[in-house]
Amino acid sequence: MSAALVDGTAEAIAGAVRSGAVSAREIAQETLNRIEARNGALGAFTEVTVKRALAKADAIDTARVRGENLGPLAGAPFAVKNLFDVEGLTTRAGSKINRDHPPAKADATMITRLEAAGGVLVGALNMGEYAYDFTGRNVHDGPSRNPHDLEHMTGGSSGGSAAAVAGGLVPVALGSDTNGSIRVPSSFCGLFGLKPTYGRLSRAGTFPFVASLDHVGPLARSAGDLALSYDSMLGRDDRDPAQADEPAAAASPTLDVGIAGLRIARLGGYFARSADPSAISAVNTIARALKADRVVELTGADRARSAAYLITMVEGAALHLARLRERAQDFDPEVRDRLIAGAMVPGAWSAQAQKFRRQFHAATLALFRDVDILLAPATPCRAPRLEQTTFVLDGREMLVRPNIGLFTQPISFIGLPVVAAPVWTEGEKLPIGVQIIAAPWREDLALRVAWALERDGVVRAPAAGLS
Amino acid sequence: MIAKTFDPEGVVNAMAPLLGLTLTADSRAQTIVHLRIAAEQAEKLLSVPLDDQQEPAPVFTA
Repeated sequence: MSAALVDGTAEAIAGAVRSGAVSAREIAQETLNRIEARNGALGAFTEVTVKRALAKADAIDTARVRGENLGPLAGAPFAVKNLFDVEGLTTRAGSKINRDHPPAKADATMITRLEAAGGVLVGALNMGEYAYDFTGRNVHDGPSRNPHDLEHMTGGSSGGSAAAVAGGLVPVALGSDTNGSIRVPSSFCGLFGLKPTYGRLSRAGTFPFVASLDHVGPLARSAGDLALSYDSMLGRDDRDPAQADEPAAAASPTLDVGIAGLRIARLGGYFARSADPSAISAVNTIARALKADRVVELTGADRARSAAYLITMVEGAALHLARLRERAQDFDPEVRDRLIAGAMVPGAWSAQAQKFRRQFHAATLALFRDVDILLAPATPCRAPRLEQTTFVLDGREMLVRPNIGLFTQPISFIGLPVVAAPVWTEGEKLPIGVQIIAAPWREDLALRVAWALERDGVVRAPAAGLS
Repeated sequence: MIAKTFDPEGVVNAMAPLLGLTLTADSRAQTIVHLRIAAEQAEKLLSVPLDDQQEPAPVFTA
């Protein structure tokens, strides 16, 4: 029974644990067995917190016997990208250099919240070095591999998070998204991923990348689990200075309200160019299901992407400049040289990028007066092969690593909430994702649309058939 | 036109010692590639002028 449950959702696991149909320890043990059996092929976990997971599971089972409230995620395993602080572990952030840091003294706020809801942390996950990555490659730990085809990328930088969830190791994982690092791996590995509004979820206790663009959020195999984990992480945390003082209502209770009356449009122009037919087809599939005939333009999206690109280079370089001076040889060369270039970008360019950011934000908010949901591809293509370094988009050969985020960057640039939802095509081994984008603070609407699409069988996120 | 006037090799030669960075030949070559891409992005961004009064978003709020 525990094996079937671990293949399913966190919601189902929690229900079974609360009812006593299965113990939290049985679920934790099955999960740990799977990690042991499958992680060598997937490259998902960098650390497994065996003792902690079993202790937490036992505490849940004891609490059940006592008749205590176990929480909405009771006994549901989860894991976190290894830029989240886990008490007692060194927060490596995908790097070699940070392994010299002392172990974290406390958990990141999001871990504390998920555990307070009954979740069971089982480990830390592989990621692209310092999150400057869209591929899932890591020169120090090896690549995370796409569970649906091990020769292909997971996408990054939350590559281990996607490999763990799509590989059936955990139902929910946390990632971070600066320019697309939740949405890209969700697209490549066929998962639901939520990048909340900028300032919504606390980043306290995570290793930063680009402070003005960094977000954290969940990846899951169901829209319901995405909402459940998101709800469990809501709430004010003064330790993140970027967190906004916005009221936050739980999304789960509104999922089945339906989508009648929502004004849904697809993004044209920039979001219809530079895309492989598979990406366009995925958006068409979802737009048809939602009867979204309208096409709108996000004017300036191309420049928004450019501005996000430059801000990332400059802020990322500023964060790492001392390490670039002192330990250049210990970086992943692909990450290092982009950071070095970022240190040399003229200040006037990044200042202009921030000026444009304000303008683009205002223009996009105006668009949301007439529309509730925007649809766009999450990635320009399905997952490239692991060793692939270039691809052809719009007739032009480009580097894979900097360009996979073409369609995610303009959206996170102004902090809009997005759910990535996976579309499968018969005969294809690999899925591709679509961004369901809402106005700031309306995660509930994006989640509601994803939930309705999943209910109607338009999108789905099965665990890969690994043994 | 940034792309025509921007000289990534010259920038790397001047900036690396100023920043205290020592670059290997491979790292220098790749840094030049990434600076060239940055210049392309800047070209797109700066091709349309922004008002002097346009406030930047150094502290971004959604």
